[in-house]
Amino acid sequence: MSRVLIIGYGNPLRADDAFGWLAAARLLDLIADPEVEVLAVQQLTPELMEPVSRAGRVVFIDAASSGEPGVLQVASVSADPETRRFTHHATPGGLLAGAAALFGRAPEATLYSVPGQDFGFGERLTPAVEKALAEVVERVRAGL
Amino acid sequence: MPRQKIVIDPITRIEGHAKISIHLDEQGHVEEAFFHVTQFRGFEKFCEGRPFTEMPSLMARICGICPVSHLIASAKACDAILAVRIPPNAARLRRILNLAQMVQSHALSFFYLSSPDFLLGMDSDPAQRNILGVAAAHPEMARDGVRLRQFGQQAIERLAGKRVHPAWVVAGGVSEALSAQKRDAILAGIPEAMAIAMRALDWFKSEMERFREEIRTFANFPTLFMALVAPDGGLDFYDGKLRFLDAGGHIVADGIAADTYAQNVGEMVHPWTYLKTTYYKPLGYPDGVYRVGPLARLNVIDGCSTPRAGQEWAEFRELDRGAVLSSFYYHYARLIEIVYSLESMEQLLTSPEVLDANVRAHASANNSEGVGMSEAPRGTLVHHYKVDRDGLITWANLIIATGHNNAAMNRGVLQVARHFVHGARLNEGMLNRVEAVIRAFDPCLSCSTHAAGRMAMEVELRSAGGELLDTLRR
Repeated sequence: MSRVLIIGYGNPLRADDAFGWLAAARLLDLIADPEVEVLAVQQLTPELMEPVSRAGRVVFIDAASSGEPGVLQVASVSADPETRRFTHHATPGGLLAGAAALFGRAPEATLYSVPGQDFGFGERLTPAVEKALAEVVERVRAGL
Repeated sequence: MPRQKIVIDPITRIEGHAKISIHLDEQGHVEEAFFHVTQFRGFEKFCEGRPFTEMPSLMARICGICPVSHLIASAKACDAILAVRIPPNAARLRRILNLAQMVQSHALSFFYLSSPDFLLGMDSDPAQRNILGVAAAHPEMARDGVRLRQFGQQAIERLAGKRVHPAWVVAGGVSEALSAQKRDAILAGIPEAMAIAMRALDWFKSEMERFREEIRTFANFPTLFMALVAPDGGLDFYDGKLRFLDAGGHIVADGIAADTYAQNVGEMVHPWTYLKTTYYKPLGYPDGVYRVGPLARLNVIDGCSTPRAGQEWAEFRELDRGAVLSSFYYHYARLIEIVYSLESMEQLLTSPEVLDANVRAHASANNSEGVGMSEAPRGTLVHHYKVDRDGLITWANLIIATGHNNAAMNRGVLQVARHFVHGARLNEGMLNRVEAVIRAFDPCLSCSTHAAGRMAMEVELRSAGGELLDTLRR
């Protein structure tokens, strides 16, 4: 069981949508603690319910589609049965609900998100989101 | 009443779009039905000018669910351009990867997409009819689905480095040998995966009686069937030659090699869809309509070489004296193929040669043309490329399983609509059964139409004058 499971998700070919994925990729290079597991994935899938259920706590990192671009938002996430209607795509709350329903446990979870500006094709973050990338990496590391 | 048209149109999705239209005559009886794929991807065109060695990883981007299938068919086409015989262990490792892909994709189809219909009922509340509705009512089944798909995905990741769009399969073989540690990790998961597969198979067989009406009406008609078969006539997902079988169970054509597919498979376009339709060329269209995928594979083979799947296959073939015709049995066939895949993975991974480091042949382009064929979860996949003297792609043709099944899916929609749709009022059971017959084929576009655990649909019933008579939304 990992003490902390970090899941950064997004599409690295869709500009600011890559935020979570890139953050996880950076954290993978920076964190050597065997009790911290870091996953960089393109989207949340139901298969993650099982490792989520085994984690001490979970950190999700994602880009948001609304809000002031580049401003980091931190919020706790709770199991949300209303968002469980997924097949191969899920939300953090839905994953937690699924973890509880199928594997008996939904750990404490936090979502770090940054509103993006550009979700078109591209492999670069916009400047404001790029700045927030460094910030989220530091804050997640500091919170471990 | 005037002639009417029912349009079932999903909300636009990222990975695929389709709609169904059902035409009613003056008496409110179903006259015609069409399955429209409304997306245009253009992969065949925009790969022109790229080096052929880029094709496997480029083609893998066609699909996020079955990238491995495109990788393998593409790499085989590139092997043909190189004119090399790839090292035996490269073929072995590609086979294992393809088997893992079968497991994860079939698990997605059966547990995530279709089990809500079986467990909660075709007429149940669509708000609950999803994988976590299943979790609430049958948690053990939902847990099994998640664990089985996780096994397949992890096996792909262990072999190929990542589970979606891996770049491990290359022209001439694979880029890296398998380590003992990774082999052991995959093998360790097989007993649990097998227990899940057998539980699901036993359960499905015990429940089939409840679906007699669906079995009778879900694309249940005579067609040809097509799949690759091994040299001994057995099930083979990676290699082999094409065989066509008729509805009576007689072999129509056999031993068709990849480079002669075009003499046997005709392609045509219909004005209502971007999806090409294929047919067996010597019989023409529509007499040459055939089906591919799990049902077709289990119909065309002479046997299944692994013990458990072999036994299950023999029982399956008892369903009919000729070929098994009802497309509802795609689900049954899918479960048998999961068992076969797991048994085959175990056999291949315990082979002493599986750790052999010779996994890639190197060459330049020696042929100006290459065809690769393999069996994807949904059926036979064909990649055909032509290159210039510099190895740049000048022409490409891809035939995907959903195209092979296009004509049968259209006829299936018509058959289900004629049986279940009556008059001017729509009901949920009707809508779901029209979806479910498409779902039985597990077309590639299912990944988008089920993104919220169900097909997001709006059905409008309009009069010939365009008057909206009835709407049903999910």
